[in-house]
Amino acid sequence: MIPAIVRQWAAWSPGLEDADAWRAWARAPQPLAHEGCPDVQFLPALLRRRCSPLARIMLATAYEACPPDERARVRTVFASRHGNINESIPMLDRLAEEQPISPTKFSHTVHNAQAGLFSIAAENRRASSSVAAQENTFACGYLEALAHLQRDPGSSVLLVMADVPLAPTFAKLVEEPVAAYGLALLLATEGDGTAICFDTAPPETGGRVCEWPEAAEFLRWLLSGDAHLCLGAGSHRWLWLRHDAPESASA
Amino acid sequence: MSPFDRSEPCALQALGMLTALGRSLDEIWPRLLAGDSSQLSVREDLVPGRSLVVGAVPGDLPRVPRALARYACRNNSMTLAALEQIETAVRDAVTAAGRDRVAVVMGSSTSGVGDAEAAIRHQHRTGVLAPSFHYEQLEFGGASGFVADLLDLRGPTFTLSTACSSGARALATARSLLTLGVADAVIAGATDTLCGLTTNGFTALQVVSDEITNPLSRNRKGITLGEGSALFLVTREPGGIQLRGVGESSEAHHMSAPDPNGAGAEAAMRAALADAGLAPDAIAYVSLHGTGTALNDAMECAAIARTFPAPPPCSSAKPLVGHTLGAAGAVEAGFCWLLLHEQDAGSIALIPHAYDGDRDPELAAIPLASKGMRVPAGPVLSNAFGFGGNNCSLVLAGPPL
Repeated sequence: MIPAIVRQWAAWSPGLEDADAWRAWARAPQPLAHEGCPDVQFLPALLRRRCSPLARIMLATAYEACPPDERARVRTVFASRHGNINESIPMLDRLAEEQPISPTKFSHTVHNAQAGLFSIAAENRRASSSVAAQENTFACGYLEALAHLQRDPGSSVLLVMADVPLAPTFAKLVEEPVAAYGLALLLATEGDGTAICFDTAPPETGGRVCEWPEAAEFLRWLLSGDAHLCLGAGSHRWLWLRHDAPESASA
Repeated sequence: MSPFDRSEPCALQALGMLTALGRSLDEIWPRLLAGDSSQLSVREDLVPGRSLVVGAVPGDLPRVPRALARYACRNNSMTLAALEQIETAVRDAVTAAGRDRVAVVMGSSTSGVGDAEAAIRHQHRTGVLAPSFHYEQLEFGGASGFVADLLDLRGPTFTLSTACSSGARALATARSLLTLGVADAVIAGATDTLCGLTTNGFTALQVVSDEITNPLSRNRKGITLGEGSALFLVTREPGGIQLRGVGESSEAHHMSAPDPNGAGAEAAMRAALADAGLAPDAIAYVSLHGTGTALNDAMECAAIARTFPAPPPCSSAKPLVGHTLGAAGAVEAGFCWLLLHEQDAGSIALIPHAYDGDRDPELAAIPLASKGMRVPAGPVLSNAFGFGGNNCSLVLAGPPL
């Protein structure tokens, strides 16, 4: 069991744009919306123009979950199953026609483009990683955030998980809850917040299948009073336990 | 004890590797020591209207098993070939740890995008994607999911994709997973393969050299692109070759160019030394990121000159294998692993810095390794710097003398 404190959170999906909306959603969850992306007026115009819809969601939730005076100091983990693949498709089309591709577009479709944009916007010079893990991307992003806490227990780690619906070229190849959404968690080894523990579990443990992404299901659990949460698909299960829950107090 | 207070050994127990220098450690080692650039080749099929010198892995690669056809792409075939080299050590580790306790952390910046390009060309011709194409071939997570599904592993499995520091980062995370106790063995490394997207992308950025890359030369004209795979079996064993230090930084500067003063590179190297508990003068050799671009070489030399009061011999492997992008951090850690592994009578051989010898006088002066050079055995440092200003330096150390 690996403990951590969730110091802050922020989430975004079209129509669910503040904490109260998410609390209401958590009480009566429904599939998330697909279309739209947040305003990122806090970014300089030059950076804003470079932001894909995914980058807008990631930077908006990252800025909301991280207090201004900490944005330059946190380590960051950006997790996304699909990353900027939608932005790569027009480049793949151009390659198929033997046309040159734009250098700026090329450098902004790397999986860590959002990390780079955040680093530039927030003047953050700390460690940053970008994760993808198929249907387990949220849990593995969380684990990568714990890996950063392991390397630097005195720092907070800002975990940002987001995805947008895949473009039609590839959409029918993937079965998943289709949604545009982002969740940012500010994690630390100590401080005020919700104390939770994480562990892996064997695939026999169960886990639940939802009509919304796992990150949203995690947030629903975080806002609930439930003692534990088991997520996961295929041969992987991930377990979160509330630190003050009776089960963990007796353990 | 809290998992955050623990410190564990981190052994890089076994290494499988493919690069332009060869398809096994036995093939790679003598060519590495000779500073042999003759394995680079010229390709006409990657960028329209341009011949490109590249570091391509020679020969055919093994086929991904039919049952895993959803993962069948050149990137995963190369991973499979690297895995085959360490099959016995991996099998023993899985038996000892149990398949729930073996994690997979892969770095990649391309995954199977080369195969997606073919699928989309098919779509342009016929209206539908190639029927052999599956999304798992393309998505970054597939680079690690393939390894876990191939070996039926059930530990945490994920891909790190931070451009050209991805491979170094995978080793950093492997060590953290072992220390946190979520796994007892980790298959960690990186694979990147030559494809249209990266070769055309870097060409568009005007950083690809027409000749073999010539790092630190006043005549340098940019990068030679390459491909490769390096996979390590990583455990908590105390002996052997250890990952001693990890240093990371971001640059807050530019998406595709390093900070010209080298502050990010310096921060990563200093953090790696601090993490290893070593003074700069303990380092026997530095494997440069050394891409051969005007900016990289200037900022990296400056950063080394500031970090090391008396820098050790340095060299770049890029003229031998090309810039293997997302794999570079793992491939070049693999080269460092070989230097330490082949330690002999208290000394290690170094990779010669293969360039035209016409050093750019504008660069901060750092010593360069030459052919046949040996130094007293000691820890070595490997640099990997990526797009988005994402840096990761590693310190590897051999067994005590």
